[in-house]
Amino acid sequence: MSNREEIRKRLQAIFQEVFDDDELEIDDATSADDVDDWDSIMHITLMVAVEKEFGMQFNAEEIGKLSGVGGLIDLIEQRAG
Amino acid sequence: MTDTPTKSIKAVKQLVAKADYAEALAALRALARPEDDFTNQHKYFKVLESMPRESLGLRPLRIALVGTSTTDYLCEPLRVRLALDGFDADIHQAEFNTLDQTLLDPAGALYAFDPEIVWIVVNHRDVTPLPEPGASAEEAEACVRRAVERFTGLWDAVARNGSAYVIQSNAALPLERVYGNYEGVAAWGGINALRAFNLALARACRPGVTVLDADYVSALHGKAAWFDERYWNNSRNACSFDAMGLLAHHFSRLVCGIKGLARKCLVLDLDNTLWGGVIGDDGLAGIRLGGSATGEAFVEFQRYCKRLRERGVVLCVCSKNDEDNARQPFLEHPDMVLRLEDIAVFVANWENKADNIRHIAETLEIGLDSLVFVDDNPVERELVASMLPMVAVPEMPEDPAYFVRALDRERCFETVAFSAEDRARADMYRNNAQRKSLQRQFTDINEFLRDLGMRAASADFDDMSLPRVAQLINKSNQFHLTTTRYTEARLRDMMADPATVCRAFKLADKFGDNGLISLVILKPHGDDALIVDTFVMSCRVLSRGMEEFVHNEMVEACRAMGRTRLIGEYRPTKKNRLVADLYERLGFAHTTTDAQGNAFWELAITDDLAPRTPFIERTDW
Repeated sequence: MSNREEIRKRLQAIFQEVFDDDELEIDDATSADDVDDWDSIMHITLMVAVEKEFGMQFNAEEIGKLSGVGGLIDLIEQRAG
Repeated sequence: MTDTPTKSIKAVKQLVAKADYAEALAALRALARPEDDFTNQHKYFKVLESMPRESLGLRPLRIALVGTSTTDYLCEPLRVRLALDGFDADIHQAEFNTLDQTLLDPAGALYAFDPEIVWIVVNHRDVTPLPEPGASAEEAEACVRRAVERFTGLWDAVARNGSAYVIQSNAALPLERVYGNYEGVAAWGGINALRAFNLALARACRPGVTVLDADYVSALHGKAAWFDERYWNNSRNACSFDAMGLLAHHFSRLVCGIKGLARKCLVLDLDNTLWGGVIGDDGLAGIRLGGSATGEAFVEFQRYCKRLRERGVVLCVCSKNDEDNARQPFLEHPDMVLRLEDIAVFVANWENKADNIRHIAETLEIGLDSLVFVDDNPVERELVASMLPMVAVPEMPEDPAYFVRALDRERCFETVAFSAEDRARADMYRNNAQRKSLQRQFTDINEFLRDLGMRAASADFDDMSLPRVAQLINKSNQFHLTTTRYTEARLRDMMADPATVCRAFKLADKFGDNGLISLVILKPHGDDALIVDTFVMSCRVLSRGMEEFVHNEMVEACRAMGRTRLIGEYRPTKKNRLVADLYERLGFAHTTTDAQGNAFWELAITDDLAPRTPFIERTDW
């Protein structure tokens, strides 16, 4: 399994918990428009959970960037690499 | 708890799916710790929100948040912690960073929301101006005064525009110190100025305003983790996300204190809780108490309990022991801090602890929701927690060195005031329990009452009695006919109205002074009647003739004002069934019951209406 796919799976579990929807599926193309409740306020709740899951810290600007799932995977890959 | 939060949140969700909401809330209470991280707090919030609000039996509470930082993320842990403490919180958030405008606008959305509590959420950045480096002590003081005046002005505005209670955060002292250690030395030092601000803010508190000690909460959480500048820069969050559960917990417990719902009584196990070892097995010389590192830990825990008692928390013992064995250390061990006279009800037997705790509550005439139970034995804790879910049962650590911390972190006994009555409360409850055991010796209740040597006094409310009057009205649930709740400001309006009778009662007996234990507010009704707007009595003095004493006083008040009818109303609640037939017992006639179940009673004030005879002598106030 590719690294990106593994990140996507872990992210999906976070999305399901944060948005309280066990059916929620995400991919690179998923954006805030596709997920109910994914607004600027919930985005930060999401980022706090992502930081915890991947054991990393984003800077203030990265936290604020609402760039969709693809961008988020890029960010995690880049930070982990 | 061995379950991970994820596993147990599933258990909560399963209970929700079965629509077993009471159990689900209890399971959430056992699971959700204030220290849990934000991601878990969010899960707790989600599962709470999945339950129908009306099914949880929580009391509604309207809270307005207004501040200089983002409050959105606080709302979730707040809803959770408040729900676990019995409140269904409706939270209104003011627009971001509009503190002064919002509170100064009488026509604004915040006052339209009519909050019961306004939380002014500020942080150290709001303490301006700070003294210039090298400023004199006087100049530094003037800066602090100006910073505080901004907030006292806002408190005035809240008081002018409603009856909300104000909770004001103080400043969490930040990490950075430009002048290093010297900032805490020089009067003009930034850190010292913030310390002075916090002290001045506390000194400025008045009835209806209290400070939430955010500086303490930040230190408890750990300041390095409390501050996260990234989230300040990104979204103006003044504390880190993972600290919000703890902050919400402290806020919620403070609300319990304000609403009179804090716990009143601490029920203590003995073996391995107040001393190490088992008295029945190890004997007086064998138990560990003082004299060793472990023994010291138990002495420290007893000292903490003793200090709780001194502030009015009632102490009781509930132990599986032979009574003589259980009492022996209290009587003979040189290192016991707690004495028998500190214990209001002492229960040592082999019955199950849930029954014994129920008995303790009945003896003290307080609700189970006023009790905290401390036991080193997880089995006993579990039994009590499951059979009596309204009793608070803190998790206790293995090591007695951490007992004090474990109990203290629960914040069970929050208060916003401390009065002479509080100081004497533990004694009064103990005396009351003694009265009860005395009662058992008398077969004739009248003989018992006569023997009590009761003396009562009455007086109109005044400045001295007002805080206690407000406390009694707002805290009483059981002997409260109409469950009115009044702020001191509203009470002052009634006191100023010559047509309204505002009378308070004190009672003393041979065991001691019970203080101010009852009050009535009578209002004119039509041309010929007075209606009992409020009739409250402390449950400590029930069934001792005080009801009759107050009754006589109300009749006299009618006569003095030329009124020929006294109307009593009973508004039933879950908790006040005790007084459902009070007016009947006092000789009133039932007239109507309205659609809400409120029953109206009437007493004709005729010339031949004789006073009812309590065994209570009248004295001066």
